[in-house]
Amino acid sequence: MLEARGLSVSFGAQPVLRDIDLTVAEHEFVCVVGPSGCGKTTLLRALAGLTPILSGSALFKGRPVIAPQTELAVVFQDYARALLPWRTVAGNVALALEARNIPASDHAARIAPLLAKLGLSGDGDKFPSQLSGGMQQRLQIARCLAQEPEVLLMDEPFGSLDAITRQQLQDEVARLAKEEKRTVLFITHDLEEAIYLGDRVIALARVNGNLAGRIAEIVDIALPRPRQQLATREDPRFLQYRHRLFRHLE
Amino acid sequence: MGAAFPLAVLALWELLSRGGVLAEDGFSRPSRFFVAGAKALADGTLLAQTAQTFGAAAQALVIATVAGVTVGAILGLFRPLERAAQLTIDALRPIPSVALIPLSLLIFGFSREMSAAVAAFACFWPILIVTTAAVRGVDPRLIEVGRLLAFPLPKIVLKLALPAALPGILVGIRVAAGIAIVVTVTTEIVTNPRGLGYAMTMAAESLQPDLVWATLLWVGVVGWAANWALEKLPIRR
Repeated sequence: MLEARGLSVSFGAQPVLRDIDLTVAEHEFVCVVGPSGCGKTTLLRALAGLTPILSGSALFKGRPVIAPQTELAVVFQDYARALLPWRTVAGNVALALEARNIPASDHAARIAPLLAKLGLSGDGDKFPSQLSGGMQQRLQIARCLAQEPEVLLMDEPFGSLDAITRQQLQDEVARLAKEEKRTVLFITHDLEEAIYLGDRVIALARVNGNLAGRIAEIVDIALPRPRQQLATREDPRFLQYRHRLFRHLE
Repeated sequence: MGAAFPLAVLALWELLSRGGVLAEDGFSRPSRFFVAGAKALADGTLLAQTAQTFGAAAQALVIATVAGVTVGAILGLFRPLERAAQLTIDALRPIPSVALIPLSLLIFGFSREMSAAVAAFACFWPILIVTTAAVRGVDPRLIEVGRLLAFPLPKIVLKLALPAALPGILVGIRVAAGIAIVVTVTTEIVTNPRGLGYAMTMAAESLQPDLVWATLLWVGVVGWAANWALEKLPIRR
């Protein structure tokens, strides 16, 4: 579905990513974890077509991604910057419908179920500034779903949320990904979040004093779904995965 | 509350004038120029002149806004274009707008357009500069949201860049509105035999200080009302 082949990215003379090879299968939930500055966000941006690639390629369904396309939606960490403060909640979702040239008369009927799905029913007429951080992030996710993408690229989406909101949203995103049959690439610096959510976890790190980030390890996560905040995190296998991957974050 | 100060000044003025401290042929006195103003209002001349002057100023503001916002948005989005245009802007901007009066007169003759063209030139610069800066200052993340939704560039500008820059642009338009009135009245005083500026020149030449003062205060009142209306304008973005 989504693939990186020998992908390298540099900012000027500064190498950021080197020789990244990864494949995300259809309907798979892949998490990328790594310490800050290892190029996680750059990897996501390159796969989304936002950041130019130095060498190698990013492929979506076998075709190179050279510019953003509506099949690939990005959920940014800084939701406040990604929302249009002058538009209501419904208006923000409508932006994605406008992008798909859906007639305005159909907007209401399409927006209502999306808001319901993300627990925003009744907030349609509010402005983003009137919502809590968690609700704003739900809104950004709703807008991305309105785009009807095949792949959701999520860049530390819960990084600036409190622990309880984060856990709720983790479970909701896991549920939505399965229900809506989306493919997800999820960037996080939180190892436990990566193991909890992922079918696979890719550890990215600067190896052997290299400046550029490389893939350090890929681990298949064989934890049963649906996952549960307490039971899954207490599962001995969860702890084993954590032990195994932890060294890449040091 | 805000009216207390001007009312006190008018009262003092009236007293000083009646006491012979202020010369009547220059300063007139409030009681007289209110009468002169009321008369000019009643016979319709003041309203016709107001329509002329503020019509020309409004025309100038609309032209300058359309041109300034369009060019400013383009320069704000494309840094290389902004650098390329910088020299032209820096060379044209210091030209005093009133220096264009003879040229505008040649092109438009004695007409409302003559005043509007000169005022539009003066208003264009603040709107251009403020729009360029406001659009350049739009969060790049918003532009990325537009790119990710695969909007074509004109839609990114209309749906994201301009609405995000709107508060800044409105400041520029408000500043330009004041300039539009100043320059329009100036053209009328200097050359164009129309509007409130010309009315003041004529009143002065026929030694009617009460009418000069009445017209001057009227410009202030209408200008204040126009500014108030501009601030109250329900802007949807």
